[in-house]
Amino acid sequence: MELVRTTQRLWGRRSVLATLVVRDLRIRYAQSVLGYVWTVLDPLLMSLIYFVVFVYIFKRGDLGHQPYFLFLIVGLLAWQWFSTVLTDTSRALTGEAKLVRSTNLPREIWVVRVVLSKGVEYLLSLPVLLAFLLFYLVRGEAQLNAWLLLFPVAVALQAVALLGFGLVLAPLTVLVTDMQRVVRIVLRMLFYATPVIYATHLVPAPYDKITWLNPMTGILEMMRAGFFEHDRLPIVWGSVVTAVVVSFVMLLVGVAVFRRLERAVLKEI
Amino acid sequence: MTEPVISVEGLGVEFYRSRRRRLSVREMLFRGSSGTSKETFWALRDVSFDIHPGEAVGVVGGNGGGKSTLLKMIAGVLLPDEGTVTVNGGVAPLIELTGGFVGDLTARDNVYLLAGLHGVSKEAVDERFDEIVAFAGPQVKAGLDTPYRHFSSGMKVRLGFAVVTTLDEPIVLVDEVLAVGDKAFREKCYKRMEDLLSDGRTLFLVSHSERDLRRFGDRALYLRHGRLAVDGSMDEVLDQYNADLERNA
Repeated sequence: MELVRTTQRLWGRRSVLATLVVRDLRIRYAQSVLGYVWTVLDPLLMSLIYFVVFVYIFKRGDLGHQPYFLFLIVGLLAWQWFSTVLTDTSRALTGEAKLVRSTNLPREIWVVRVVLSKGVEYLLSLPVLLAFLLFYLVRGEAQLNAWLLLFPVAVALQAVALLGFGLVLAPLTVLVTDMQRVVRIVLRMLFYATPVIYATHLVPAPYDKITWLNPMTGILEMMRAGFFEHDRLPIVWGSVVTAVVVSFVMLLVGVAVFRRLERAVLKEI
Repeated sequence: MTEPVISVEGLGVEFYRSRRRRLSVREMLFRGSSGTSKETFWALRDVSFDIHPGEAVGVVGGNGGGKSTLLKMIAGVLLPDEGTVTVNGGVAPLIELTGGFVGDLTARDNVYLLAGLHGVSKEAVDERFDEIVAFAGPQVKAGLDTPYRHFSSGMKVRLGFAVVTTLDEPIVLVDEVLAVGDKAFREKCYKRMEDLLSDGRTLFLVSHSERDLRRFGDRALYLRHGRLAVDGSMDEVLDQYNADLERNA
């Protein structure tokens, strides 16, 4: 099967993949003192803004689980991983055109590398989440439950989904020049169409099924499952199941599309 | 006869003639068509040959003859539309030498990075690091710990050449890179390539310089409009090529 063969080829070049990921992280962190701060500052500030807007201006602190600020951070950190990977994979091949043209590596590596290095950045930002969690735990406003086990599963699932999306976007951007703009606009719309700043349970009936199709809906539901009480906003299991299915289907589609377009892409870069 | 290291059979690759091959969502939406012409041409077609270990093969031909395209096919950075290219063994491609370097990292880091991209382990680079730097020259050595973007373009290419030629690959592909660098460095490159050849490596060279070709190649392929016109000894091929040039002049 295509997926197995691709995985084997990539596994054979895992040291190169490691080199690329380390390179990305070094550029990100070693170059400036603020490197780390930048990656966590963005989701933190956005959480703060949404918190102020919804809680103090709209007086709607009930849009998500309590504490709402913790709810926002869980969502925005994951969303940052999602959106940076999509923006970056859409230029994964064009941005490294010289390297793609001069090294005979499995071309999928350029996408996998973005997903992984952004994934590591995401994992490195988790201490911030942990800090806020401890803060709310000490104050007795948050509580953990056994569904916390779903968190690592959700992280893995998000990586699968991102690989799928990235493998479609990277070759498409080479062939369709204004794809990057399209991705940017769609991402901005998708942000509000994904339960990042509101709870999945609050999406009204026929639209809830539509938001499920976006795997991020179910992934966020899994990530949040362990942190909050679910008496008011129960876990939407339908979204979780859909996310698992969609993510893996997306990965298969991505591998197939990439294979299909690879020949044409190489002629264009 | 030994097994060929490079075996090319019925190779063909088709390109779009129009520069506006690239599509755009805007055009598709507003014009209902991709707005690009479907006209294509074959950059290479029906090309077949075998290269055996230790051979030094030059590729000759006018602009647009398909030389670089052929080289990219062998390097595996282009995929054929027809036929097959089989390469047994690793390839050290002297193409886009500086492509793997990152401006913000130091030259030292960049050496490890580029070698790593070609699959060399950190320990192996440690071992050869001095050799690489010595080859790249004193200017590079002095600037090892400064950001790579402060290097002159000549120094960049030297460093790239030094790294790629230290790769232990049995096949070396060279695309016009000898044209860069000053005279002294060029001599060093020639020397390095002769060493590689006497080491039993297979050399595949694209060049417009008759002198370079004669110096390294004993066999040559003459590509004319994407077809393999002659496959023979270097002298034979160059004579034919020059005769063609005169006839068209």
